[in-house]
Amino acid sequence: MRSYNILIVGVGGQGLLTLGSIIGVACTIRGLDVAVAEVHGMSQRGGSVVVYVRIGEEPSPIMPVGSADHMLALELIEAARYIHYVKKMGHVTVNDFLWPPPLSIYPSRDQLFGEMKTRDIKLHVVNANDMSTKITGSPISANIAILGYALGVDESLRELLGLDVIDKSLEEHFRGHVLELNKSLLRMAFKEGLKRGE
Amino acid sequence: MLLGNEAIARGALEAGICFATAYPGTPSTEIVEVLSEVARECDIYVEWSVNEKVAFESAYGAAIAGVRSITAMKHVGLNVASDILMSSAYAGVSESFVVVTADDPSAHSSQNEQDNRWYGLLAHLPVLEPSNAREAYKFIKEAFKLSSKHKIPVIFRSTTRISHTRMPIELEEDIPIEKKCKGEFTVDYERWVLIPAHTRRRKLELLKIWEALRGEDHYVTIYNQGLEKTIIASGLAYTYVREVLNLLNLTNRVTLVKVNMPVPLPRKPILKTLEYAREILVVEELDPIVEMQLKDLAATCGFKVNIRGKDLVPESYELTVEAVYRAVAKFMNVEDKLPWENVEPIKLNPPIPPRPPILCAGCPHRSTYYAVKVAANRARLRNVVYTGDIGCYSLGYQKPFETQMTCFEMGGSIGVAHGLAKVIENPVVAVIGDSTFYHAGIPPALNTVYNKSNVLILVLDNMTTAMTGHQPHPGTGVTATGEATIRVAPESVLSSLGFKVYIINPLHVKEAIEELTKAFEEFKHGVNVAVVSRMRCALEVLRNARRRGVILPIYTIVEDKCTGCMACVKLTACPAIVVEPGSRKPRIESSLCAGCGLCAAICPYRAIVVANKPSENWEALWWGP
Repeated sequence: MRSYNILIVGVGGQGLLTLGSIIGVACTIRGLDVAVAEVHGMSQRGGSVVVYVRIGEEPSPIMPVGSADHMLALELIEAARYIHYVKKMGHVTVNDFLWPPPLSIYPSRDQLFGEMKTRDIKLHVVNANDMSTKITGSPISANIAILGYALGVDESLRELLGLDVIDKSLEEHFRGHVLELNKSLLRMAFKEGLKRGE
Repeated sequence: MLLGNEAIARGALEAGICFATAYPGTPSTEIVEVLSEVARECDIYVEWSVNEKVAFESAYGAAIAGVRSITAMKHVGLNVASDILMSSAYAGVSESFVVVTADDPSAHSSQNEQDNRWYGLLAHLPVLEPSNAREAYKFIKEAFKLSSKHKIPVIFRSTTRISHTRMPIELEEDIPIEKKCKGEFTVDYERWVLIPAHTRRRKLELLKIWEALRGEDHYVTIYNQGLEKTIIASGLAYTYVREVLNLLNLTNRVTLVKVNMPVPLPRKPILKTLEYAREILVVEELDPIVEMQLKDLAATCGFKVNIRGKDLVPESYELTVEAVYRAVAKFMNVEDKLPWENVEPIKLNPPIPPRPPILCAGCPHRSTYYAVKVAANRARLRNVVYTGDIGCYSLGYQKPFETQMTCFEMGGSIGVAHGLAKVIENPVVAVIGDSTFYHAGIPPALNTVYNKSNVLILVLDNMTTAMTGHQPHPGTGVTATGEATIRVAPESVLSSLGFKVYIINPLHVKEAIEELTKAFEEFKHGVNVAVVSRMRCALEVLRNARRRGVILPIYTIVEDKCTGCMACVKLTACPAIVVEPGSRKPRIESSLCAGCGLCAAICPYRAIVVANKPSENWEALWWGP
């Protein structure tokens, strides 16, 4: 069975656990074995959060450094913090959103991107907060936008999980109006990603 | 697709439980939370107990009356329940009873990373340990069988990475419709009354069961039996070992022994392993529980085998593929460098800042802490020592609050404050959350009054158990299954203990400071004072606002009025207030602002104002249901 590792990083409260669950359920629909390792409790409160999604046969929960095929980063500083988890020539889809920890001194957006660009990765930058705000009125669905975009740019991910399976997974996570908004956001981000991918 | 904890809950339902209890605690919470959600449908009894000791006692009570039961707690919760745990081993059960302990290696959300398999050795109770979420579902059912067979409680050990990992799980059976929910208590003085004469006899019974448990051979599985190099792995460690052997292409060159019951270690399969092996590596997370028992068996039975374990596998923190890779590679005498390269980490100046968990935007604790510090100053209380407790508010240790100077265990704020107040000159304030107060805060509060120490108790009442995901408690007026019940407010408990109680509302910062100043003045004069600061958790308020279509205020900083004094940034450390690199003035990230208004109350230039048109009734969300 093929293995594929997705690392989800960001700040607690950005919908990382939901995103992990959406991908996990999508794998189940496809009949793929998967382990989605989350962190709950205090670590969620505005802290740095990592969710490991490992597709493969009876995968262990934590992925080693250098093994992520695709990193989905909801925030810039967190993308930089975990970049060494990415495989050489792996994909990094990052939200163009810098949210510094309070009272901290931190590198600028230009510095962060400058460094990331010199790494052996396929870097995809997307303003997921804006996309989410356009469709839902708030950045709350930036996680869905990131996923849609990542599917657009990454052919291997697309082969594993198509838009239709993600749709089905969304149906298990949301209902009514919110579901419809998320579905259209997913599509919009996907199209943008496809354009970039070509 | 089930979370490990959901898998445990499902397995327990299939095993026919009719009684489940817990006090919420990461990483165990979802087990009983899920059960509470299906309690009506499945016709079982589920409760959030006030603490783990009571949770254990209640479930044990059901089990001695013949009703199959489960209790679940985080590792440190079992410390709270350890008194009854020890006794329950002596007395045993009439129907199966499983105690789930969810350990937290790496202490992701805990004050320590203790290995609760020790409790099995201490109490002479068996410990089952699954290797992943899927196995947790199967093993929990095994645990009930084992308990039923030997008529003793069984400890089921999970860890963060099992409890909080989702996996596709194929369900094996339905939840039985017929189950025993009404029991009967048979008076049996020699069994249920552990006076010395009875307990001495029960100890002999217990040792007989312990011996019989060592004969439960099927809790060990051996792969590739008979090779000289042997790896023994328990629980989650097995998953890592298998992955690493695959990576190293060594799967066929070692005998792999999978231990599903680390305590007590089943004798026969382990002796067989010792017979064939020349060298053994034990891989287990945290303490050398299997390793110790193995070395003991080897020495007692005269085997000269080289046993490695904690000299190669770290004893601290959770295991990783890398850590197990290094250990296994060294043991197998092969190159221990990972066979692939990772992307170079990013090093910058300024460096990537750490991001520890922080109080959320709009968190009531932020406003309370600010008000407390201002009021303490006004009342001329100098060098205040703030003892702390377990909850989101533990984060008050951070700047600029520094209102949590100790944090050890549930309820510890008040007990430790009492001792400190007896021996130091500084004023002592004990800070404790509502749920923690009910859990273990009442006896030490009584103790401060009875033994006359001058401690001010500050209860941070957000009317829920916030950190674990908003479970109800005795102050909420609802039970785990949503039934209305009596509401016991912290102030009524504290008044009855003889405290003069002030209730403050930190949403109105200025009034809160005035009230607090009065409270501190009285405290200074030796009065037993308690303060209850009441305001709902911002996460709940934001969720309720979304659901009910209520618009909360969103604040903005008027650039012309802002002088860039940074008071709002420095005094609140609110994550919604951002200072862009190179900018002299802060900005409020409107998507993050919860509208608590603390920054606006602090701004000396009145530069922070409401930017939108909030709903008329928005304030009610911060107190109402």
